[in-house]
Amino acid sequence: MTLKECYAALEGDYESVLSRLMTEKLVQKFALKFLDDASFNNLVKNMSESKWDDAFRDAHTLKGVCQNLSFTKLFSSSSTMTEALRDGNTEEAAKILSQVKADYEQTVSAIRELAV
Amino acid sequence: MSGVDKHRQKVLIVDDSEMNRNILSEMLGDEYDIIEAENGAEAVNILRKESVNISLVLLDIVMPVMDGYGVLAVMNSRHWIDDVPVIMISADNSVSSMRRAYELGITEFISRPFDALIVRHRVVNTIMLYAKQKRLVGMVADQIYEKEKDSSLMINILSHIVEFRNGESGMHVLNVQMLTEILLRQLVRQTDKYNISKADISLIGKASSLHDIGKISVPDHILNKPGRLTPEEFEIMKNHSVAGASMLEELTLYQDEPLVKIAYQICRWHHERYDGRGYPDGLKGEEIPISAQIVALADVYDALTSERVYKKAFSHEKSMEMIMNGECGCFNPILLECLQSASEAIEKVKAHNSDENEKQRENLALELMQYEELSASEETLRLLDYERMKNDFFASVSNELHFEYTVSPSMVSLYPNNSNMLELNELIAYPMDDERLTSIISMDELKELGLLLKHTSPDSPVVSYNCKARLNNEIHNINIICRSVWNSRSEFCGAIGKAADLGIA
Repeated sequence: MTLKECYAALEGDYESVLSRLMTEKLVQKFALKFLDDASFNNLVKNMSESKWDDAFRDAHTLKGVCQNLSFTKLFSSSSTMTEALRDGNTEEAAKILSQVKADYEQTVSAIRELAV
Repeated sequence: MSGVDKHRQKVLIVDDSEMNRNILSEMLGDEYDIIEAENGAEAVNILRKESVNISLVLLDIVMPVMDGYGVLAVMNSRHWIDDVPVIMISADNSVSSMRRAYELGITEFISRPFDALIVRHRVVNTIMLYAKQKRLVGMVADQIYEKEKDSSLMINILSHIVEFRNGESGMHVLNVQMLTEILLRQLVRQTDKYNISKADISLIGKASSLHDIGKISVPDHILNKPGRLTPEEFEIMKNHSVAGASMLEELTLYQDEPLVKIAYQICRWHHERYDGRGYPDGLKGEEIPISAQIVALADVYDALTSERVYKKAFSHEKSMEMIMNGECGCFNPILLECLQSASEAIEKVKAHNSDENEKQRENLALELMQYEELSASEETLRLLDYERMKNDFFASVSNELHFEYTVSPSMVSLYPNNSNMLELNELIAYPMDDERLTSIISMDELKELGLLLKHTSPDSPVVSYNCKARLNNEIHNINIICRSVWNSRSEFCGAIGKAADLGIA
């Protein structure tokens, strides 16, 4: 799978990330690195343990990374998640979590194809 | 690139996301030495060690332990913010956060997502701007240092010449200068009445070196006569004040120079008395310029405590007594108070004047203090580094735990070998909330120590406190000695101290 196809699969903005990070090589490097990024897993864990402040930070970090890598779909849901947690809206956040999970799965499976 | 440092600049990237740190690091390329921190406390620790060696900080806002604003607060309180530029990186573009960050002194704000070219340009521009400023500041400060060194040198030479005929070393002139400065500093602490600035203190100190130049007009046989002077001889001797003043008046080109004006006052009137019975003009009370009043007092004290052709040296205590009793001239009561208050410092003058380095450092510090923008020059940095190195060395070879505490922000810092011993972080933010610290010393005992410290005062700042500590699962008796630290407004702002293990309880 090419990088461009990968980005299509995860519903990200290939043109944007390429213009900002300059080379495909760099984009690929960081996309692959995303597989090791702990923010999503931490978010899930902290949500389950009701550690809302930590969860907020994780959501915020995840959102930031998605923004940098133009993972537009995952960015969108993690963004909403961040705002819900910022306002202390834990019920709302719990609902959004399923969307975030789905988007995360979509993103990482696309990236895994890239590694092959 | 011309004008930029040859060795690599250090850039500190502070962000809790490794991904973000990596992206930024990549964007900056190979030109910089990248140091990373994953939260605010780590960042502060690194800044503490590297301080002005860091060319730029890229700072995230949202982080655990201590956030970006916390770091900025520390940088402000330690004045690192004056020399180290901070570019805030954040996904939070709200006007309120940007305003808050700018108010805390950031140089730039870069929002996400990062664009490689833009990030690189802004980083480079910011670093170059600060490097230029730093270089200019350094140049100015070095110039001042040189000027100060030269003028100290001139004064040294001058005083040797002036004293040469008396058969004395140049020590009298140097002593009088130091005494004058000590008395002036004490005076401004006690009253605003005379409107003396730091620049004035430096000026009067320098001018005081000229107080006896008139003695050049006094013949040898009178100057060095071991016995009592005849009335005629005494008149000639007394004339040295008028002679000195005349010599200064003849400097037609420099009449408007403050140094010359003050030197004139001092030369002519340093033998006047507060009760009007002095010479040459019989000025009384506040008719005598304060510069002359101070030098008169300094001169008398030094004369009493020195050996002369016509007398032996009196002790510090005896000299103080004689002056306070009015046996040796009549002085302004305020100045006598200053003499008393500064007694300890005054006593040290004789010993200190042999330490040229000490004097130079003091003068340098006094000069630099006048220019608030000059935060550090190469020379002062070198001095600072040396002191730091000394501290670190002594802490490292000691068996006791050395620590520093600041009130705001609330944190305790330990020296590396100490912190390793106890498995504590070198920098503990909010110590009362730190579980590892409170597992070693109980919170109650920490609170008690805190109270003891708050009840100290600048004049009596040391506290000795015995308590228990849990080390390696055993209870030990420990003794903590610490000293409170006060800021320029006499507010309690922290403490330094050491803890000694007295053995198993």
